[in-house]
Amino acid sequence: MTNATMTRPDRTAGTPSPPVSLAGIPFGRLLRVEWRKATDTRAARWLLILVAASTVGMMLAPVLAPAKIDQTYSSYLGFAGVGLSILLPVVSILTLTSEWSQRTVLTTFTQEPRRSRVINAKVAVSLLLAAAAVVFGGLVTAAGLGAAAASGRELDANLNLGVVLGYLLYVLLNVLMGVALGALFHNSAAAIALSFALPAAFAVLGYAVSSLAEWIDSSTTFEWVLQGEWSGHLPQITVSVAVWVAIPLAAGLFRTLRREIN
Amino acid sequence: MITATSLSKSYRGTPVVQDVSLHCEPGTITGFLGPNGAGKSTTLRMIVGLTRPDRGTSRISGRPFVELPNPTRVVGTLLDPSAVHAGRSGRATLTIAAQMAGMPTHRVDELLGLVGLADAANRLVGRYSLGMRQRLGIAQALVGEPEVLILDEPANGLDPEGIAWMRGLLRDFADRGGTVLLSSHLLQEVQATVDHLVVISQGAIVASGPLARLLASSSLLLRTPEPAALARALRAAHIDYRPGPDQTFTVDVADGRVTPELIARIALEQQVPLTELRQDDAGDLEQLFFSLTATKPDHAPEAAA
Repeated sequence: MTNATMTRPDRTAGTPSPPVSLAGIPFGRLLRVEWRKATDTRAARWLLILVAASTVGMMLAPVLAPAKIDQTYSSYLGFAGVGLSILLPVVSILTLTSEWSQRTVLTTFTQEPRRSRVINAKVAVSLLLAAAAVVFGGLVTAAGLGAAAASGRELDANLNLGVVLGYLLYVLLNVLMGVALGALFHNSAAAIALSFALPAAFAVLGYAVSSLAEWIDSSTTFEWVLQGEWSGHLPQITVSVAVWVAIPLAAGLFRTLRREIN
Repeated sequence: MITATSLSKSYRGTPVVQDVSLHCEPGTITGFLGPNGAGKSTTLRMIVGLTRPDRGTSRISGRPFVELPNPTRVVGTLLDPSAVHAGRSGRATLTIAAQMAGMPTHRVDELLGLVGLADAANRLVGRYSLGMRQRLGIAQALVGEPEVLILDEPANGLDPEGIAWMRGLLRDFADRGGTVLLSSHLLQEVQATVDHLVVISQGAIVASGPLARLLASSSLLLRTPEPAALARALRAAHIDYRPGPDQTFTVDVADGRVTPELIARIALEQQVPLTELRQDDAGDLEQLFFSLTATKPDHAPEAAA
């Protein structure tokens, strides 16, 4: 290996420095790098496999228990949405937190000091993963429906735009909740634990004070989204999205921009 | 070029870095020397925009770091070799850095060869030794073909062969017009590598300048066949001294009061023959380092008799 590959080109003393106005990092490149980081480790791949497995596993319920579960297209799609939303938020959390836990933010934020661009890329990667997962869930639903139809069952083909939109939003909201918690807590273990513990705690609290549950228990409000029960619930859904997505995401972004990195 | 002007930082009211200024010219290697906890890392993190200074500014090649459009192409940094994802291979780690900087992927293999990690490229970084992580970190710093390098304790974990290798690499980089700022608490490492020295103690710069000048001014070596008489003469003149082996003495001249001429006159007046009177070079930087950074008596070198 020659030294010529190591350093910048020769420059004799006295000549002015080359201009530093090299082009900035395009967002598309940040996106590709963040996609790679989110998917290239063994841990990330196992987690994605588990997301797929839990979705397939959930789909077995309506296929294997026709007596107990509505045999409708929307019911099958709902199981796909719930299956995806168990572990996909964890993928999103890790996309936002693993660089803090592994301390690679030290490199990332010296390579791109405009930290909000990096966070934007991570959020975009999470949404792309969610979109891919939504498509995968659709395929699993089709397979489940196909299996059910092959066994000679009557299935109510009640799919419409509202049902599909509810399914899409349900998955996206769960992913964004993971994104927001990850952006806020900067610590994988804490964010994952809280992503399960906080909604559960608020669900219990909401159980005790049922009028509160409608507003902040995300499992209740997101369920309305999945079932397409918007009428009369829009304010509650909006408030819970603010509490679980918008506010922690904004606070997390603010914290990331301010935080000292060491 | 690196310039820092009056950088200051406090944590909960305790000053960690006070009024630190640096100036590193192209073609030079500057050693940032100080004991652990002196504020070296905090200063470097302020220069690269990871820590916000309370006061002061810094520029790299004429711009604040955070305003460089693609900093990796201008300045390579190695701040902590352990800040890598344990679940990625060395190659994957470098590939991400290269992709982010917009460098072609063949750059990754060049660098792996350069730092001697070609055979370990596909092993997970979690299984790397500290020395291997330092080499990976140096490769990562070089990925964007920068003109400036900022390295925090780059010699940590390297064996003597690795330190010699890095010394050659940095010298070559500087000889090509690059600017290097490296921190260290290892005196010998700094002494053999750097042209300029900035010594920091308790958050403040206590000495800075070309290495040769800092070395020249710190102590004199005296030799006499009559050590008892010389010791008596020095005590009478209120000059602190340290007796050495083979009838030698070293005398601190950092305060400027004691000069070779003064010693010569004392010896002449007291009729003590001197067989040697010269600047002490061996281990001088170490004495300088301790004399400048020691703050408590028990940390000082042997007290003058």
